[in-house]
Amino acid sequence: MRKGLFYGLLFTAPAILGFIIFTLGPMIASLVLSLTDYNVFKDQTSFIGFDNYVKMFSGEDDLFYKSLGVTFYFVILRVPAVIILSFFIALLLNMNVKGRAMFRTIIYLPSIVPAVASAMIWMWLMNPDLGLINSVLNWLHLPTSNWLYSEGSVIPSVVLTTLWGIGSTVIIFLAGLSGIPKQYYEAIDVDGGGWYNKLRHITIPMVTPTIFFNTIMTIIGSFQVFNEAYILTEGGPNNKSLFYVFYLWRTGFRDTEMGYASALAWILFIIIMFFTFIVFKTSKSWVHYEGGERS
Amino acid sequence: MKQQRKSIIVLMALLLMFATVLSACSKSTTDNNNSPNSTSSETPAKKPITLRMTVWGAPEEVAAYKVAIQRFEAKYTNIKVDLQHIAADYDTKLTTMVAGNDVPDIAMMESGTIAFPLAEQGKFYNLQQFLDNDSEISVDSLVPNIMYSLEPGNVIGIAPGPESFGLFYNEDIFKEAGIAPPPSKVSEAWTWDEFVEVAKKLTIDTKGKSANEAGFDAKNIKQYGINISTWWGVYSNFVYSNGGDFVSADGKSFALNQPEAVEAIQKMSDLMNVHHVAPSPVQAKNIPSTNVALQTKKVAMAIDGQWASTGLAQSKFNFNVGVMPVLKEPVTTVVCGMFSIFKSTEHPQEAWELLKALLDPEASIDMITAGTWMPSYKDWYTEPALLAKWTENLDSRPSGYKDAIVDVILTKSHQTPTGYVKNFTKIMDIVNPALDKVWLGQQTAQEAMDSIAAKAQEQVQGRRDIE
Repeated sequence: MRKGLFYGLLFTAPAILGFIIFTLGPMIASLVLSLTDYNVFKDQTSFIGFDNYVKMFSGEDDLFYKSLGVTFYFVILRVPAVIILSFFIALLLNMNVKGRAMFRTIIYLPSIVPAVASAMIWMWLMNPDLGLINSVLNWLHLPTSNWLYSEGSVIPSVVLTTLWGIGSTVIIFLAGLSGIPKQYYEAIDVDGGGWYNKLRHITIPMVTPTIFFNTIMTIIGSFQVFNEAYILTEGGPNNKSLFYVFYLWRTGFRDTEMGYASALAWILFIIIMFFTFIVFKTSKSWVHYEGGERS
Repeated sequence: MKQQRKSIIVLMALLLMFATVLSACSKSTTDNNNSPNSTSSETPAKKPITLRMTVWGAPEEVAAYKVAIQRFEAKYTNIKVDLQHIAADYDTKLTTMVAGNDVPDIAMMESGTIAFPLAEQGKFYNLQQFLDNDSEISVDSLVPNIMYSLEPGNVIGIAPGPESFGLFYNEDIFKEAGIAPPPSKVSEAWTWDEFVEVAKKLTIDTKGKSANEAGFDAKNIKQYGINISTWWGVYSNFVYSNGGDFVSADGKSFALNQPEAVEAIQKMSDLMNVHHVAPSPVQAKNIPSTNVALQTKKVAMAIDGQWASTGLAQSKFNFNVGVMPVLKEPVTTVVCGMFSIFKSTEHPQEAWELLKALLDPEASIDMITAGTWMPSYKDWYTEPALLAKWTENLDSRPSGYKDAIVDVILTKSHQTPTGYVKNFTKIMDIVNPALDKVWLGQQTAQEAMDSIAAKAQEQVQGRRDIE
């Protein structure tokens, strides 16, 4: 038994050490730093208690609220869009059609394109004058938009660009869908139900654990959006896409205010924890586990 | 039991491997910094040393640095230069290096970003001390406005070359339209109105009508008269030309909301939104880089930095350069990176010698003749023989170049705002979003600047060029 423990620890050591050194350690360090005025270039760092947090919430730093608002707007638009869209794509891909493997590959492919490359492609597509999207809309005599380049449409446009990379969410849904036993559908067939009944009474309840998982992962991922602001918009126009993590990065690495940036990071951590907690709490009422209630 | 012993042996072997790898790593670092067994080397008087240097830049620029380093190493055989090229996220990387106490001896720095925050914490040598004691180089031997000072008398960096702005144009477009091209002499420079008139004539819609004709379709423009980008480097030229500034002369107040600055910014916005002769920032996303835009006649003229010369020369068409239109005074803003020496270096004198080698125009002659750079020494502008070396019989230096760029930078140059406005980045964080609305024509320059004046004022901390 002890020998088992020894080998167990030995072989998990890389993971455990990695976690302690590269995740837990820096987290504790940033928590401590968030209570200081640490500036990378200053030789002296002093303990200032909760001043950083006070600065945030007192309204002294109005970009804090602004970036928070921008990020919330993004999360509210993106999470339902990702979940609903990827669920329906997964439904389609789960059907027994010719070339299914090819469709699956096509859907997943964008997920492995580097973020910078796909951002560049979207910049071209969304170009107001020459971009493919507006050209097609023009051709169809539909109204066009300035997409990433105007205040009102920048966040929806960024959401649109991120929907391109939902392949991995779709894959997880597919796994959930293929885990549903065929007999249930056969039972509905026997009872004379159609596709709607199958969807309503079997598919959706059976994939609620997957929906639950994907929702949490999407919420976390959406709050942490960064690349899009960094590459596509640089926070503009008029700070309308100043995402929280982009602002955090700018504070830490451009303005070198690491203490304040650490405080910003911890607030984000708390926000994400809060929403994850809410989803977990409500999950009891809507997530269905096949083995009965999960204690 | 036997099993366990075997596994212990394997573990020991692993540990040994680790130890050797680790010691190998640490050994190589000690080798870099003065290894003790250097006493047996050929030059017993001088210990071999290594200078670490960080730069950013395109491959051609790095190649130029390497030439300078080779020449330097040939002169000082005991010194080796360890050049680190950080292609992307330079400031982030350098910030991390400073945080980790792993600082280079000499570094390329950008005045608009972390150079001054570092200097304010006393991380750089005051290069004035070196300049005072050097026989080969002095403040007067350098082109004006290529030194950056934390405060008067405290030089934190010297640029390897100045960069100024000019009015680049496609000669063929002017010939075909029968319009006199932009003058290259400052004394003959266009007024703003003359400039707008020409730009109107050269802005042509898809039906062939120009911007000063009735029935001109501003929504379908085939050729713009002028392309003018909206970053501070470009509009600062006109703000200064109109007698305006980013902060007041005493450094106490925000000045972009003052009439001189507002007028200049408004005039630029009018090019896009009133006269429709320049692409708006949104439309500008369709405009390729200056060389392609001019060559393909998407634009007739472009205000750009002189570094555009390289691309223009490679494009092989009839381009030329004139002076920018003048509001009140002819002015060009000088923008450039700088070399700074970190105080933590153990070899300040050697780092200074390296810095001098990097400034030497002879070492970067390829970059200078290609068009990207300009020399940093004044005599390269005033001595005819030296001037000829980089301005004559070169594709990158058209006929207007000497008057429009070389003369202007020597006599009419203004320091970049990043060099003397304290807290520039934070001020611009407030100004830029407001200007977005001006460029899009949603607000006048006066409204936009007034709306943020109070907030910008909070960030004003003074000027570096006054006591």
